Amino acid sequence: MSASTRSFRGTAAVLPAVVLVVVVVGGGLGTVVLQSLGLMPFVGTPELSVDAYSALGGDLWRSVVLTLSIAVVSTALATVIGLAAALTALSGGRTPLVAAGLTVTVPHLIGAAAMALLLADSGMLPRILGMTDGGWPELVGGKWWIAVVAEYAWKESAFVAVVVAGTLATRVAAFDETAATLGAGRWARLRLVTLPLARPALIASAAIAFAYTVGSYEVAHILGRPYPEPLSVMAIRLFTSIDLQTRPQAAAAATIATALTVAVAAVALHYLRRSAAWK
Amino acid sequence: MIRSVRRAVTIAASAGLLLTACAAPSSEAPRAENLSWSEIQEQAQGQTVSLWMYGGDEQGNAYVDDVLTPAAAEEGVTLRRVPVESTTDAVNRILSERQAGVTDGEVDLVWVNGANFGTGKQAGAWLCGWTQNLPNMEFTDPEDPLLLDDFGTSVENCESPWHKAQFTLVYNAAAIPDPPTTFDGVLDWARANPGRFTYPAPPDFTGSVFVREALTNISGGVDEVPAQFDQASYDRLAPALFDRLNELAPSLWREGTTYPQSSSELDALYAGGQVDMTMTYGPATLPKLVADGTFPPETRVLTLDEGTVGNASFLAIPSTSGKSAAAQVVANLALSPEQQLAKATPEVWGQFTVLDIDRLPDDARARFEALPSSTVLPSYEELSANAHPELSADWVSPVDEGWRRSVLAGQ
Repeated sequence: MSASTRSFRGTAAVLPAVVLVVVVVGGGLGTVVLQSLGLMPFVGTPELSVDAYSALGGDLWRSVVLTLSIAVVSTALATVIGLAAALTALSGGRTPLVAAGLTVTVPHLIGAAAMALLLADSGMLPRILGMTDGGWPELVGGKWWIAVVAEYAWKESAFVAVVVAGTLATRVAAFDETAATLGAGRWARLRLVTLPLARPALIASAAIAFAYTVGSYEVAHILGRPYPEPLSVMAIRLFTSIDLQTRPQAAAAATIATALTVAVAAVALHYLRRSAAWK
Repeated sequence: MIRSVRRAVTIAASAGLLLTACAAPSSEAPRAENLSWSEIQEQAQGQTVSLWMYGGDEQGNAYVDDVLTPAAAEEGVTLRRVPVESTTDAVNRILSERQAGVTDGEVDLVWVNGANFGTGKQAGAWLCGWTQNLPNMEFTDPEDPLLLDDFGTSVENCESPWHKAQFTLVYNAAAIPDPPTTFDGVLDWARANPGRFTYPAPPDFTGSVFVREALTNISGGVDEVPAQFDQASYDRLAPALFDRLNELAPSLWREGTTYPQSSSELDALYAGGQVDMTMTYGPATLPKLVADGTFPPETRVLTLDEGTVGNASFLAIPSTSGKSAAAQVVANLALSPEQQLAKATPEVWGQFTVLDIDRLPDDARARFEALPSSTVLPSYEELSANAHPELSADWVSPVDEGWRRSVLAGQ
């Protein structure tokens, strides 16, 4: 069998999945972009315009900054915590991996509700500490979106830990022992063996966590405050507004959020391709 | 399974729409077929009706599941309750189905009123011209303004009445022994007691009502705000409203730098003792919240001298429903004196009836008059004293959006 036949067969095998993704995701995204450009109005005649984007004005940029800040901080925390948990697991500590495995199964919605019950002004922690009358920091709905970041960091670190531990488990021991027999110290082995091996999985899982955080709505809605708001919350608020004229604006917010995610995914793919272990 | 297949079909249909045309659907409201009531009852046999309603009210869910559904089954109709987070979800669903040309949609009946009804009517989402045929409509007052006009949108037989509601402020008498008696008094009290008052951020339904109540009162009363929206009146009245609310903000919960995002968030603050007042459009649920210890035992309703706003809510049939006969049977059943009485009982749901008690047969009237009263909740007559109707739904978006820009983002 020649290489070209094999490549053709591969393409044919993957085609049903590709068609489905293109129709569903492409159709959905296409609709959103068309709506944001005024080409698919609920009422009135279609007309190309960027009114939906300009109508959002300064709020759009505030939302972009807020969305990126939440995503960057929580992804960074998740990556560091997740990597640490994975490394602990590989050196024999089972607890972090069991905890991570359990955490991954918790839906974000439940996680957010649990955070709210625990950390809100009249939540369980301030009640236990007797701080419901004041003095409790504004974690839920506060200026710094702490509960939101904490929820994402907690859930996504578990995801990162499971993915990284999974990829390292089969390979790291042999490399590590070889390096040790060649006289590499603990730190050198971590820096020159473990981290390079973990890098592709780490980049991929961090990119997924970032994309999820940018697109997720429920956590920011439950634990956040009404203003300023992340792009996803803005999009849903405008989409569910009783005013049909705001539909294009909702589509505009969703388009920007998608663009951010695609940009980050592209950067992540670029680094994945460059990473040695990928080849 | 069937749901997911249908969803896939809807998605495919939307994709098809994308490829074929970008035209908006016609906004003309479809009329119900002209059938006699017995023909409708016959058609309804064996049909399943999906009632989409706000799912956050446990008593309401229990009433529909335990009282209305069995009664519908006796009439040969299977009633299926579909809980939604917001009625707008149901309206969006209908609008999407309409855009995709679906004629046997997922939604057969919606608990709706106000702007959701108005928006839907504007887009031809509701079946019209059917409520006048419901036998139980004879027990309602044909002149009742709350049943003829829904937030400024004329009802025109496009929805059948279900219950009445009265916007109510609620306070903890243990913390406020001497409560204010006017809306202005409430704002003054809030300023004198920093951090003990707040309201949900519009577009939350309750927060939105509160801001419109503030508009009415700060503008100098009901007569000063025209019921129908016009830009000139808005430009004239809104600045004073937002100035007053901005001036009040530093005295609110968290110094007014943020607001609860929903009325349930405000209720949680009230239940936890962070604030001393909350507000609701469904005061009927208060006795149960006090009885089960969620709200403080001294919780009382604050009746205002100038009255508060009242409205009615309805059951509407989407124009995309394929089961409109069975939906009409359910709407008629929901309007029957037996169902309205069961629903008005505080332990069941405690929703105020839309029927005119004087038009009922004697025994039904006697049973309505025998409904128990409560220390927490005054009677509907007392609650609705001096009540005024809602401003037109066209006011809602400009006021909500103005509040967002001038008060929320203005920090």
